[in-house]
Amino acid sequence: MEANGIENLTNPNQEREFIRRHHKHELVDNQCSSTLVKHINAPVHIVWSLVRRFDQPQKYKPFISRCVVKGNMEIGTVREVDVKSGLPATRSTERLELLDDNEHILSIRIVGGDHRLKNYSSIISLHPETIEGRIGTLVIESFVVDVPEGNTKDETCYFVEALIKCNLKSLADISERLAVQDTTESRV
Amino acid sequence: MAEICYEVVTDACPSSVYESTPAHSRRRPRFQTVMHEDWEKNCKRSKQEALATRYSSIPRSSREDFSDQNVDVSSPRYGVSSVCGRRREMEDAVAIHPSFSSPKNSEFPQHYFGVYDGHGCSHVAARCRERLHKLVQEELSSDMEDEEEWKTTMERSFTRMDKEVVSWGDSVVTANCKCDLQTPACDSVGSTAVVSVITPDKIVVANCGDSRAVLCRNGKPVPLSTDHKPDRPDELDRIEGAGGRVIYWDCPRVLGVLAMSRAIGDNYLKPYVSCEPEVTITDRRDDDCLILASDGLWDVVSNETACSVARMCLRGGGRRQDNEDPAISDKACTEASVLLTKLALARNSSDNVSVVVIDLRR
Repeated sequence: MEANGIENLTNPNQEREFIRRHHKHELVDNQCSSTLVKHINAPVHIVWSLVRRFDQPQKYKPFISRCVVKGNMEIGTVREVDVKSGLPATRSTERLELLDDNEHILSIRIVGGDHRLKNYSSIISLHPETIEGRIGTLVIESFVVDVPEGNTKDETCYFVEALIKCNLKSLADISERLAVQDTTESRV
Repeated sequence: MAEICYEVVTDACPSSVYESTPAHSRRRPRFQTVMHEDWEKNCKRSKQEALATRYSSIPRSSREDFSDQNVDVSSPRYGVSSVCGRRREMEDAVAIHPSFSSPKNSEFPQHYFGVYDGHGCSHVAARCRERLHKLVQEELSSDMEDEEEWKTTMERSFTRMDKEVVSWGDSVVTANCKCDLQTPACDSVGSTAVVSVITPDKIVVANCGDSRAVLCRNGKPVPLSTDHKPDRPDELDRIEGAGGRVIYWDCPRVLGVLAMSRAIGDNYLKPYVSCEPEVTITDRRDDDCLILASDGLWDVVSNETACSVARMCLRGGGRRQDNEDPAISDKACTEASVLLTKLALARNSSDNVSVVVIDLRR
């Protein structure tokens, strides 16, 4: 029991253990890496239903307008993503590295596009937790990427983190709304 | 220079330049569950939107009626050109409302012109086109506002517009755009807004973002707005003072993401990206015309060149002849706006291009 009255299934130690186990990235020179955490008031199965859609990231990622996948949903599948206007990119080509429906982990690698994020790789994992007595989801997303010429590691991390924060906020908003719908429908 | 540009345009731009890039909206497979069906709702582009992506010019179709005694306050002549260009989507919008001020102010007609360049999607710019002039109208306290009153009117209107696009997202997203996203407010969509209200004796300009208003006076450009770029020293100070950061990625961007420092919408970038307009009020003199345009034009055409082209189209900038047919002036303005658009495309503008040319000759 936490002193502030909030009982969490996860605590800082558990978060670190999740990160240690699921978010290992091999860094080389001139790369930067970071990990972000988001607590969502929705059960894992709802959040995962959005995250696992490698073929439709626009379901929750606000900067994506369209996505085309050739072939089946399996390791090695590549998607072509159209990015919305206003951002410093118009396309991104991304490969599915891992999709684990039991552990709720998705990993992708960016393999092309007209952006400056070279050798970008990310992992997103979901973990059940309790938030203020209700079932919730701890989301951890980590990434590694080359630092582009002319920018610093700090700038690169700041930029990528800004994008991921938007994605995670949107994921939370949509998941929580779906959770409310779920509850409402189950009462009918 | 104008002649050279004219030749370049003539050679490089076939009439097909007005074909917009078709938007491919593939039908996604439908799932059997209610949840998935909700996600798969396709907002079909309306015919209006389809037409908007293709219209090349809209000369004013009817002349306003005025009493003979008001010969000095004749209705405005203007031309519009707005094209998708090389972008996948048309996200620009244009609003023109001659004599838009409320009936009680009809003795002193005020004419409204606005260019809105959307990003992330089209619905914020579309909303501005539908609403911003009405908000300005509501905020107008009199027909003879002084400088401070105009600034207040514009600042309040822009703030209300920004609040509207944020809260309006709580209802259903307009069928005119393709947002699959069900996020409340579509936080990552925004628009520039450069607005001009023209009165018998003044030109009021309110600008938010990187569209631009340029006055052509005796053939010389007079900027009536300043672009809101994140690396403008005062904008950089404001952003960093608010705890934000400007990162030079491919150009200066707020958080490395957005290439302008002010916009309507873009709630996720508040307070770094502000919706507060900069307002200028200019006394009218022996002016040629006013040009409002999105950065699809200004990124590739200088103020000087734009003025030269417009002035050339308005017959070398001479005084409008006493008996000049209003239709001729409308046609000249339209030609100017179309020519400027073609010039931008010939110079490989990579954006939507929207141009409004307003004849200010008395």
